[in-house]
Order: sequence, then C-alpha cells, then structure tokens
Amino acid sequence: MFKFALRLLVRSLAIIVTSAMFFSFMVHAHQQKIAISTVFFNAKTLNIEVMHRFNIHDAEHAVRKIFGKDADIIDSATTQQQFSAYVKQRFAMHNQVGEILPLTLVGHELDGKHFWVYQETAQTIELQNLTVRHNALRDLWPSQVNTINIEGKGKLQTLTFSDSVELLTVEF
Amino acid sequence: MLNKIIMTVMLLLLSIASTNAAIKQSKGDFEDKFRQLDEVLPTPNVYRNAAGEPGHQYWQQQVDYQIKARLDEHKRRIEATETITYKNNSPDTLKYLWLQLDQNIFRNDSMAAMSSNFGGIGDRAPAARAGSMNKPARLSLDHLRRQQFVDDNELGYEIKNISNKSGKALKHVIVGTNMRIDLPIPLKPGKTTTFTIDFAFNIVEEDAVSARSGYEHFPDDEREGGNDIFLLAQWFPRLHSYTDYEAWTNKEFIGRGEFTLEFGDYEVELTVPADHIVSSTGALQNPKQVLSTTQRKRLKEAQNAKRIVFVVTEQEALENEKAGTDKQKTWKFSAENVRDFAWASSRKFLWDARGHQQGGNDQPLVMAMSFYPKEGGDLWKKYSTEAIIQTLEVYSRFSFDYPYPVAQSVNGPVGGMEYPMITFNGPRTELQDDGSRTYSQAEKRFLIGVVIHEVGHIYFPMIVNSDERQWTWMDEGLNSFLDGIAGREWDPTVPWGVEPRDIVGYMKGSVQVPIMTQSDSVLKLGPNGYTKPAVALNILRETILGRELFDFAFKEYAQRWKYKRPTPSDFFRTMEEASGVDLDWFWRGWFYTTDHVDISLDTIYKLRLDTKDPDIDFSRQRQEELNKPMSLTDERNKAEGNKLWVERFPDITDFYDENDRFTVTNKERNKYQKFLKKLEPWERTTLERAIKEDKNYYVLEFSNKGGLVMPIILDLSFEDGSTETQYIPAEIWRRSPKAVKRLIITDKNKVLASVSIDPRWETADVDVHNNHYPRKIIPSRIEAYKKKKSTKKVSRDIMQDIKTELKTEDDDETEAPEKDG
Repeated sequence: MFKFALRLLVRSLAIIVTSAMFFSFMVHAHQQKIAISTVFFNAKTLNIEVMHRFNIHDAEHAVRKIFGKDADIIDSATTQQQFSAYVKQRFAMHNQVGEILPLTLVGHELDGKHFWVYQETAQTIELQNLTVRHNALRDLWPSQVNTINIEGKGKLQTLTFSDSVELLTVEF
Repeated sequence: MLNKIIMTVMLLLLSIASTNAAIKQSKGDFEDKFRQLDEVLPTPNVYRNAAGEPGHQYWQQQVDYQIKARLDEHKRRIEATETITYKNNSPDTLKYLWLQLDQNIFRNDSMAAMSSNFGGIGDRAPAARAGSMNKPARLSLDHLRRQQFVDDNELGYEIKNISNKSGKALKHVIVGTNMRIDLPIPLKPGKTTTFTIDFAFNIVEEDAVSARSGYEHFPDDEREGGNDIFLLAQWFPRLHSYTDYEAWTNKEFIGRGEFTLEFGDYEVELTVPADHIVSSTGALQNPKQVLSTTQRKRLKEAQNAKRIVFVVTEQEALENEKAGTDKQKTWKFSAENVRDFAWASSRKFLWDARGHQQGGNDQPLVMAMSFYPKEGGDLWKKYSTEAIIQTLEVYSRFSFDYPYPVAQSVNGPVGGMEYPMITFNGPRTELQDDGSRTYSQAEKRFLIGVVIHEVGHIYFPMIVNSDERQWTWMDEGLNSFLDGIAGREWDPTVPWGVEPRDIVGYMKGSVQVPIMTQSDSVLKLGPNGYTKPAVALNILRETILGRELFDFAFKEYAQRWKYKRPTPSDFFRTMEEASGVDLDWFWRGWFYTTDHVDISLDTIYKLRLDTKDPDIDFSRQRQEELNKPMSLTDERNKAEGNKLWVERFPDITDFYDENDRFTVTNKERNKYQKFLKKLEPWERTTLERAIKEDKNYYVLEFSNKGGLVMPIILDLSFEDGSTETQYIPAEIWRRSPKAVKRLIITDKNKVLASVSIDPRWETADVDVHNNHYPRKIIPSRIEAYKKKKSTKKVSRDIMQDIKTELKTEDDDETEAPEKDG
C-alpha cells in the first residue's frame, strides 16, 4: 500500500526548471505581475475578441527568462512574435460541450507601457457557458495574477487566475 | 465637512456594510453617496484632532540604538550587540516592551511558512503550482532551492543575552516574529529604560529565499571562491511602535504588510573585511580610518560637482574584487531622527557621488551617492545618482526639504526596497558574448523608475511615518502618485503610469477589495495598493481640486506629519481641511468601496419656451404639425390619382375649410392679455426678455452605471463648428445617485450638434461607448488594430530596421529581422 501511494505521489510531482529571479516582489510599480485580458463579444463583427494586456516590465523580464537574455520585447520584432505565440499556447476557451474555440492570432502591439496580444474567433453556436484557461506568465511566477473581464454578453463577469487555479467557467 | 459633527457614539474604521448598522436606510433603496465620513472615521481626540493634525497632546515614543556589528564574510553571518534606550512619551505605564524579530520569518516554523498556501498568492517561493484533477502538481527548482536553503541553514535570530544596565538578565518571550521583554520595574510616562541585546543570525541568500535583503554570490569573479554583495536590512531586533491608535502594533510579520517603527538616533559601528566599501543609513563618522586620502578628496570634490565624481572607480573596484583580505575595518555611522537603519557591504562596489545643493536651513547639502558592482555598468553610471537628485527636487517641492545628509542607491539582489537614506535597486546590464555590457530600453526605464520610487519612499513612509503593516496604500499609493510626477518631469514620453485609463480594466472587474483593507489581506496588491490610490490622487489634483488647492493641502499633510505617525483619517481630514472642499464622497467612493466610474449620457432633448402669445404659439404648433411626415396612405392615394371628396365637391364647404384648429380668436388674445396683466412687473420683464432672446433649452439625462459618483465633464459641439467644455461637480448626484438631468441653455444661433462626456479620459470612466450623444461607433481594440495595420508604413519597426547593415555584393549573409507591415 505504501509503495503504491508513494509512486502516485512521484508521478504527480513534475518538476520544471527555471532560473533564479533577481526581481523581488517589492517593485510593484515596475513589475506588477498582473495581466488583464478582455474577452469581448463584438455584436458588430459577430466575433469573440480576446485582448490580452501585459505590463511591459513583466513581459520584458518574462521574455528574457523564456527566450534568453537577448530577447527584447520593445525593440525586437522576433521577440514580440515569440511572446505572442507563447501567450497563444497558454490561453484557451472551451464551449459547454468541451470543444476548444479555434482562436486565430490577430497580432500584437506595443502601446505605452503595455504589450497587447490579440486573438479572435467567430461566434458560431450559442454559448451557454465558457471555460477559460490562462496560464501565460503563471508558469514563470506563482504571484502572477491574470484577470479576465468577459464583456458584451450580459453583465460583465470577471475571472481571476491566481493561486493554483487552472480552469474557470462563466455561465451566460 | 467631516470634522463639523462630533458624534457621541463612534465606530472605528468599520466597513460601509457594518456602518449601515448604526445609521440605516431601512426603507427604499436610496444610497447616500455623500454621507459624511464621521461615523466611519475615529473620533478626533487630543492626539489627533479633527483637522487631521497632530493634536495638542500628540506623543510618540523615542527609541535610540547603539549597535556594534561584525560581518563574518565566510560564514555569511552577523554577530552584534545593541544597546537600546527606550523613552516612554506615552501617558501609559508599560510593563513590557514588544520587539520585531523579522529574521524569524525565514524559520520553518514561522507563521509565514506555516500558513503559506501551496502555489497561492502568499507563497513567495517561485513557480509552484498545486495540482488539480487531471494536472500534476509542480514544484520549481527555485522552490526546492528555497526549501533546501532553509533546511541547510539555521535561520532566524539567535538571541543570546538580554540584560539591563546593571547586567541583570531580562525575562523575554519570543512569539514568532515578535519578542516581549518584561521590565523589572514598569516604565512610567516620561521615563527611560536602557537594555542590551546580544544577537546573531545567518544571512539569507536573497536569490534563494526571495527577501527584502540578503547576500548575492558572484561565483565567476576572479577571486577564488567569488565575491558577495551583502544587503543588511531588518537585521537587528527593533522596537515595535506603541501608538495612541493601536497601542503595540505587534501584528505578526507574515511578509507583505511591511513595518511601522519609532524614530530615534542611531550610533552604529560596522566591522567588515578591510577591502569592503560600506553604504549605510547615516553620516560616516570616521572617514580617516576607512577611506583613503584620494577617496576623501574625491568626496569633497563631489560636493560641488556638476556631474558625478567616482569615489571608487570601475578600475579600482575591479582590482579590489580580484583580491580579498583577512583584515578588518570598522565603519562608524551616526543617524539622527530615523525610523530604521540599513546598510550594504561589498568589495565589488564602484561608488559615485554628486552633491545636491538644495539650499534652505535644514540640510543645504545632500550627497546623492550610488554603489554598484561592474554588473551595473553604464546604466548605473549614467542614471542612478541623477535619478536620486531628480527625486529630491520633485518630492521636496511637494513636501519639505530632504532632511538627511545622504541619499543612496545600492545595486544588489533586491529588486527595489527602501530604508532611511538608503535604497536597494535591482536593474542591471547584460554581459554580451563580445564582452560588452548592454541594457534594453525597458531596463533603463526600470532603473530610473525604481530609483525614483525607492528614494521617494525615504519621504513616505520613512519620514511621514505611516503604518505599512496596516495600510499599504498610505505609502505606496502616495509614493506612486509622486513618482509619476517625478517621472513625467524626467521624460513624459516614457509611460510612467498612474493615468486614470491605467486602472479601468481593474476597477470594472468584480474581483477586488476596497483600498481600505489591511495589507496582508489585499487581493491584487499592485492595482489596489499602488495604482488605484495613485490614480485617485491624480484625479483629485488635476480634475477635482485643481493643482493649487491640491498641492497646498498635500504639502500641508506632509509637513504636519513629518517625523510623525499619520493614519488614513489624518490624511483624509487634512486634504479636506486644507483645500476647503468636502471630499467625503470621494474618499467613500474610491477608498471605502469597490465601485467604478461609468457615467452614461442617455439622451438629450430640446425644449422651446412657450410665449403664451396665441399669435406666436398657435402658429408654431401648426408648423410642428406640418413638419410631421405625411401619412404613407395619403401619399400613395395621391400618387394613384385618387380624387378626394373635398376636391370633387368644392361647392360644399364651411368655416372649417378656411380655418384650421390652430386659428387664433380674440378669445385667446383676451386670455393672453389677462395673463399679462396678472404678471408682476419682474415676471413680465423676464418673460419678454426670454421671448426676445428665444434661446435653446437642452435637457441632458445621465445615468450612473458604475456606482462611483464623479464630476461630469461635458464637451459640447455646436452646429457652427465651435465647442465648449462644462464641468458639473460631483455634487449633482447627491440626492439622486442613479440618474440626473441637467439643463443647458444656449444662444439662439448656438445649436447643439453633439455632446461627449469626459473627453480627456480624466475620470477613469470604464465604458466610453455611452459617453457620446448621439452614440458613436467606437471600434474595439482589435478592430482598431486591424485598421491601423492596413495603413502599412506606420507599423514598420524602424527602430529595429535601422540597425540593418547595407548589403555589399560579397556579403549576402547579412540578415535583418523582417516584420510584416
């Protein structure tokens, strides 16, 4: 019995490799470790638009951790594309029957102290609920909090990915 | 005004919900957004008066420290003795004293360690994730590194001896990060007690445990075994504050809620390896013993220099870090009227300095100095000390002259942290393969921003001594507001934040807590404790009070509480009292609730004044009738050529074929004359003038969808192309917080074409769609982005492309990163 339990424990404890962090949590004015996304049901275009907003300081340190010390979110088009692709991989929405909504990557842009990543998909079937996964930067920092405001479909609803939350669902 | 009514029953800082228990709207759903704050704020008393000033019997304790400490570089350990002189200025007799033992937070049995939620917000260890049903849990190597470090090293304080002046041991009890010392004789008001503590602790490796201080190891330095930078903070048992509003502020240190401490004078002797350079709170007392003649000469030269002077040059630092020594030196520092003491020590440090001649009587010369290893590079040489001076210039304008002899920025493993006269700042350069050191634009902004922010903290809370453990916003919010001002005066093209638009995404969401929440319980500390209060103050300054009133009141707050201990109510009261503006609604909405701003302009309709003169009004009514569109049936009948009965029999007519229902008779004219006769002379003049001017009357209907009441700023556009701005104070909502109407009167030829509210985005309105009448089609970000992309050239990354080298015929390997455009 003991052996079996131990094996289960080992199997469920995966280890990820990350390098040491120089930036401590005090520097909120600079590295906030907070991203805000909007999932917007656009009645005009009939698309579901996803707009992720990252603080440049968060993204700046993140890209160097992920893509190496030469990565530069402000000046390098390559890094910007890499980061967009990274966000795309870590964000997903499922409908009520568990199907993944096919999000296309519309693009990204630097605007002031924010880096935006845009995705969209057509509104096809009537959604009764929406299940969201948003792990961007959360695989780097435990204190990363991703907030999503769901707008344009009834009352605004907010999802917060903090602690060990992986999936969150909103009902319409 | 909140200080005008003193209630007999007062509830201390209760939430709105429980406040309603005392005074309650028990019928209907009316919510008084302007209810005065008296019932929520503590009762003014002799220690804190109703104006938000220190009261006539204000007191605070005085705690002086004499510390002798030795840094053991090999063991990475501090061994020290401190003699504490505690003066009881309170009216109470104290039987015991409470001290803070912050190093104990690193113990495995600390409340911080034992209450950490695996993978949760409070889990400071990097990148852990608890598993879920179908996902394995994850532990990062960082997390394991921390665990191993904590296992391998004995952490926390070793308290060896506590005795009074006569050498008698004092009874003490350690409770987590706190320690109670029982006094043999109760300490009466006005009396002083002195005692000595011998203590030691092993320094944490900052990179391993993530702390506000610690050592950083550089294994690649030429010296065998490498070198360290030591940052020492929260490094000696410090007295907890004893206050008039909370007595002992001995809430356990869990990690996030920082500190509140007593002011006092410090004499500190730091014994370190002889080749180390020490940066510390306080003024150096024995430069001849620890600095070379050259270094002292350079320091002197720096006092009046226009640009930084190197006291230790890069070359000297590089030589220094190669060697090492077994000898030791003792640096002596003295600091007056500070609330804490921190220091840094390393043989790696370059040291630059420039005198800031601020004038005034208190401290005409302040030495701005930076200490950093070669890894700081040009980034530090260029900007660290300059950013210190910029901070002093701007902050002093908003508060008081910087009162200390030095202001320092030290590079080490800590991202950003502040102590009196000394700050720790993290940004660095990157070593490239060709041996050069470069930095990104973001790192440059980070360095300038973090130095301004941390040096700014020397004012708030190191001098204006708010209670960080209770209220993060009181130092972080005020400081973020001011660092935004200092940053924008540095270079406004750098986005510094604290614009109202920066906080709308957070404020419209449903997961948040009021700003008035204890530091350890705050969700989303960044937007809650930093950005939202900073934006609120920005709005108060630029939109609600205006700069003149705001700056006067803010400076008054800073000066009243310089070297003293303000609470939130003191800030709220001072800002009102000094500006002369009732702001209770503002504090209530922004600091005590989670409402957001969303004001909608729902509709506009136009009115025209009836003249009462039937010859005018009846014909206007006739015209209105004619202006209505023709009935479709009538129009189609006509088109089909159907003849009307009245057309077929034109001989059968009567009076009503000639006169419609708007025909005026003398009956109406007589009635009009009678009406005029009954008017008072002033009524008649008013009516006559109004009829003559025939102005346009518009009624604008607004609704408050977000809950937070705010001024309504109107941008009126007229048909003649002119525009006008109108400011409606927030008080318009006082008796009907959900919907209001506003009458706007314009000259006859000023015909209103459209209206927008908050055109400059200065109120943090979260939804701009309902800000326009008639409504505008506002593209979503994605729509706007797609449109922008199609305009091609603007989306070129010229900054990157300009680096492209011109290809020559025999060089076809050169590549330039392509970007679609």
